[in-house]
Amino acid sequence: MEVADLPLSPSQRAKLISAGYTTLSSLSALSPPHLACDLNISEYEALEILRMVASQSSKTFGGTKAIVVGAQTAWDMLHEENFITRITTSCAELDNILGGGISCKEVTEIGGVPGIGKTQLGIQLAVNVQIPVDYGGLAGKAIYVDTEGSFLPERVFQIAEACIKDMVENSHFRRKDFQTCQDKLQPNAFLENIFYFRICSYTEQVALINYLDKFISEHKDVKIVIVDSVTFHFRQDFDDLALRTRVLGGLALKLMKVAQKFSLAVVLLNQVTTKFSEGSVCLALALGDSWSHACTNRIILYWDGNERYAYIDKSPSLRSASAPYSICGQGGNQISFTLQSCPEELIDQQDITIQQLGEKDIYVNYRFNVITGNLGQLNLVLACQFEGWREEQGGSVGQGTTAMRSSAHCSNAGSPLVGVRLPTFPASV
Amino acid sequence: MKPENPLHLLSQKCTTGCPIIDRVLSGGIPCNSITELVGESGCGKTQLCLQLLLSAQLPISHGGLRASSLFIHSEFPFPLRRLKQLSLSFCSSHPHLLPSQDPCDFIFVRAVQSAEELLVLFDRIDALLTCPPSKLPVKLIVIDSIAALFRSEFENTPADLKRRSSLFFRISGKLKLQAKRFGLSVVVTNQVVDVMGSDGINGLRVGNLSSLYSSGRRVCPALGLAWANCVNSRLFLSRNDEIVSKDSGLVDGGDGGTDVVRTRKLQVVFAPHLPEAACNLLQILSTAKISRLTVALYSTD
Repeated sequence: MEVADLPLSPSQRAKLISAGYTTLSSLSALSPPHLACDLNISEYEALEILRMVASQSSKTFGGTKAIVVGAQTAWDMLHEENFITRITTSCAELDNILGGGISCKEVTEIGGVPGIGKTQLGIQLAVNVQIPVDYGGLAGKAIYVDTEGSFLPERVFQIAEACIKDMVENSHFRRKDFQTCQDKLQPNAFLENIFYFRICSYTEQVALINYLDKFISEHKDVKIVIVDSVTFHFRQDFDDLALRTRVLGGLALKLMKVAQKFSLAVVLLNQVTTKFSEGSVCLALALGDSWSHACTNRIILYWDGNERYAYIDKSPSLRSASAPYSICGQGGNQISFTLQSCPEELIDQQDITIQQLGEKDIYVNYRFNVITGNLGQLNLVLACQFEGWREEQGGSVGQGTTAMRSSAHCSNAGSPLVGVRLPTFPASV
Repeated sequence: MKPENPLHLLSQKCTTGCPIIDRVLSGGIPCNSITELVGESGCGKTQLCLQLLLSAQLPISHGGLRASSLFIHSEFPFPLRRLKQLSLSFCSSHPHLLPSQDPCDFIFVRAVQSAEELLVLFDRIDALLTCPPSKLPVKLIVIDSIAALFRSEFENTPADLKRRSSLFFRISGKLKLQAKRFGLSVVVTNQVVDVMGSDGINGLRVGNLSSLYSSGRRVCPALGLAWANCVNSRLFLSRNDEIVSKDSGLVDGGDGGTDVVRTRKLQVVFAPHLPEAACNLLQILSTAKISRLTVALYSTD
């Protein structure tokens, strides 16, 4: 249906056509003030025209179609949700509580104390988004917005290497030509597919987020945007907290729009701050209460004893849950023990034997030789890595690392034997 | 705005002059980021910093930066004598690697008494970084110590703490900006405070180690959680004295009596590129041989 067929006064029709509005669809997404401005008519008049257009279009297209362009029925959305892709975090238990990983089309905020592994998780996601479709990934690219300077290429390289190794290990059961695939997978290629922006002030950060829309429409294969961290520059110079809230609110809206429009995942990393409430101090994510409305999902990382845990603090579709995760140097595929004792110079290569593999506990003996004289108290850290551990019948896969500290006292050169029980294996092993 | 390719990002590192520490740090102190050294007094923070000032001058092939450095100190006096000692032994151990002049010519020193003064200094630092007065560019900035600037001026009220943390972020923001523009390696030292009781805000776990111990006391880095958010990596230096009798064979040529074995330990609390790691730096203080103290602490021999 054309504008020419609308029951409008001739002058209004002429104005609409001369302003370039010839079809109904060109009108339906407009707001009254916008139209009033374009046609140089009063806002009330514009509203009347738009009402007319709305009633006409609902007549022509029937009741099932949306009245406003861009709106969907809940049924359509439910149908669409089944196709939402998720980006794995490489941690089985974390993926479990997240329903398969970080979901596209949503803004997810991840916060935690320094050193908990926010940046590591960010880099891991930037790498995992590139996993080829054959291996169950998205084969996308990543945008990494670094405001803190914690993005070190050597670490990205390590993570990419471990990710490739993982893919190859998991795929070799079902693929015969994995050798050829392996040749295609190079850590360097993973690094090249990350668009890295280093941001040094909040004005740059605002500018970049405004620019993202244009950048992504030129690079359609971007599937994740990571901002590490969204907070840093906003904790410097803002005496006017109301202004900060407005600017941040604007940023959050832009990011949500980008996530929806290009169906990509947005991950914002946030810091933790202390909050005074009723005289006592507690921990809270930075940027205040109003910011907590800005993200769709909120994940908080925390320490529990010696293990790192992730907790879903806010999510419209996931229930609150927490899961342990770990950060390890290089992904391994089997149980390996290394004795990290110091000073390394003073200890000969050790031999480590697994004495007993119980249901949940593993007993390990390790023996080492002291080269140079006496040492007094020695602090020994036995690190154990286990990934991809496969039970013969059940087929469950466990992942993680754990470290056990113990100390040995050696008064003279010799070979002390220390037995250690590793108590914190997850139940799946 | 153009994205950078991570493959082409430089990740240069500055050696500490000690192979053991370099191994723990996988090559040394990284450029383009802020590394914090935390430790109680007498742990060797300043010592390590001074050594960095010298090793930064080494050629890149030897792990250095081939650069001069800026030392901003807020603790007085400046350890000039120690620097002189170190530079002499440094010259003799690397005779062909250094520029012909005295290594001290490539070290710029500046005293700072308050946080505001430090901020003002950062605004003026550009001239020094763009056209350095020596023939080597400045690639290393050491601030010793950041804690001393903040420990007297601020009260423990919410308003003051807020002002303080906003200053932290401004200082860190400026430092990171300069570090990015000029490829600087930035090192700041920080003091520790004792932890009273088992929990409370100071007992909060930050990083790999559930708690830090030095000289048998439980400590935590000064300046709180806000500052911890401002640095990229944090290294913890601790020391422990242990009295051992001489005939235990620990010291050769022992003639009875007691020795103090001082172990200094460097631990990675958190760093984006490093796993949890630590190394010990053993030092023996013999009551008879005090002179051994001056043997360069962070060297392998």
